[in-house]
Amino acid sequence: MTHSLHRAGTAANLQNDFVVFAISAQTVNAKGSAAKFARFFEIVSRYNPVNMGDMKTGNIFSAGKEAIQKGFQDNSIVHAVFTDKEILPKVFKELRDADLGPSIVVSGLLHDVNEGCEAAGIKRHTIEHSLGVWGRTEKLPSQGILEVATMCGHGMVAFNLVKEMIDQIQGGRKTPREAALELARQCHCGIVNPVRAEQLLKALAARGRHEVA
Amino acid sequence: MWLFISNGKGEIGVKINENCIACGNCLPYCPMGAISLGDERAVVDEDECVECNICRRAGVCPTDSFEPQVEGLRAVRNTFSDPLVPHKNTSVPGRGTEEMKTNEVTGRFRRGHAGVAIELGRPGTGARFRDVEKVAMACAEVGVTFETHNPVTFLMKDLETGKFQDEILNEKVLSAIVEFDVPNEKLAAVLEKIREVAGKIDTVFSLDLACRVEEDNSAPAVEIARAGGFNPTINGKTNIGLGRPLAKEA
Repeated sequence: MTHSLHRAGTAANLQNDFVVFAISAQTVNAKGSAAKFARFFEIVSRYNPVNMGDMKTGNIFSAGKEAIQKGFQDNSIVHAVFTDKEILPKVFKELRDADLGPSIVVSGLLHDVNEGCEAAGIKRHTIEHSLGVWGRTEKLPSQGILEVATMCGHGMVAFNLVKEMIDQIQGGRKTPREAALELARQCHCGIVNPVRAEQLLKALAARGRHEVA
Repeated sequence: MWLFISNGKGEIGVKINENCIACGNCLPYCPMGAISLGDERAVVDEDECVECNICRRAGVCPTDSFEPQVEGLRAVRNTFSDPLVPHKNTSVPGRGTEEMKTNEVTGRFRRGHAGVAIELGRPGTGARFRDVEKVAMACAEVGVTFETHNPVTFLMKDLETGKFQDEILNEKVLSAIVEFDVPNEKLAAVLEKIREVAGKIDTVFSLDLACRVEEDNSAPAVEIARAGGFNPTINGKTNIGLGRPLAKEA
């Protein structure tokens, strides 16, 4: 489950990382959802998301906003990434009033999302926690690499690509922003947060290579 | 001349055509590290390649040399690795399931129950179905109900035991999600089984716990996990209950 769960991080570096998305139940209310996703996209667009995407088309950095708007289907999953928790109640209220039909799910610090729901007068329905990573964890890279790579839950941001981007920043061949956008481009759904990625990459690049592997 | 990736059984995966100039641009993009440079061209390790197609879509190949040609069991790899491929039975793109995302509409996880998902191979490591089977069979021993609208469940030949079809056990995928519903009374035992089987597999898994929020805004399953020594993360997913029509509460 859960392409937006398991985003590794700390309370400090997750405070600007919220994914809001819309999805329909294929066996219940999917028929006719394409138009509702278009309305969802229109609403969330007004709150300055730093990334957006639809699994059926791509994200704003790979496919572009216009292609996303033209490509909604009944089994789309449409995402927007925000860096400011203060906008959550406003987005929630507007989505509630729009009464679209597809489910609305929010990934982020659970306490902050709960506060956003309360401020909007909405009761949470279901929550999901990560209980961590188990098994042969010695196969994983450092926590710093994981914090960047796990922003794409489908694994499209390779650990080696994060290391390559850090090398390129250290070598002056890419700015942290350019490196963050290159990573965001790979995540088809559009849930990589390029602002957070830039901050994390900048901090990692300031360390020695052996410290970030 | 084409460089096909074949396992000798007529199963064909991604191929790199003769235009490849061995520039190496694609190497860091492969989540499995399955691409290396040969004498004249890039070479893909067929056993490690999970058919995710990121090499092709990354747009870094100057000669457009990657071509998908996924057939046979390679298609199983593709379904569980390329998020653009919706599963034919669930219609959900991305190897995933709707799980708690649509719970207010489907009623999949009800009060008094927990939803558990074990995503083998995540993060970024990949998994073979023989490990997926080990985990599923361990959980089945406690008595769980595997989610039917899940692409992994479709590959099981016995939903009671969690046994898979033998021919797929060696197939490697980017990740695969064992998902089930369990009553809260059995949750502690299931989580203990999961902790136990974690030491018997050759990959990693990410563990999820979903539950319906109570009227008082509490989440009983999360407390059961804490009591069992698990540490639920501070971040997670919240279904804010705006989907319609609402499922009837039990």
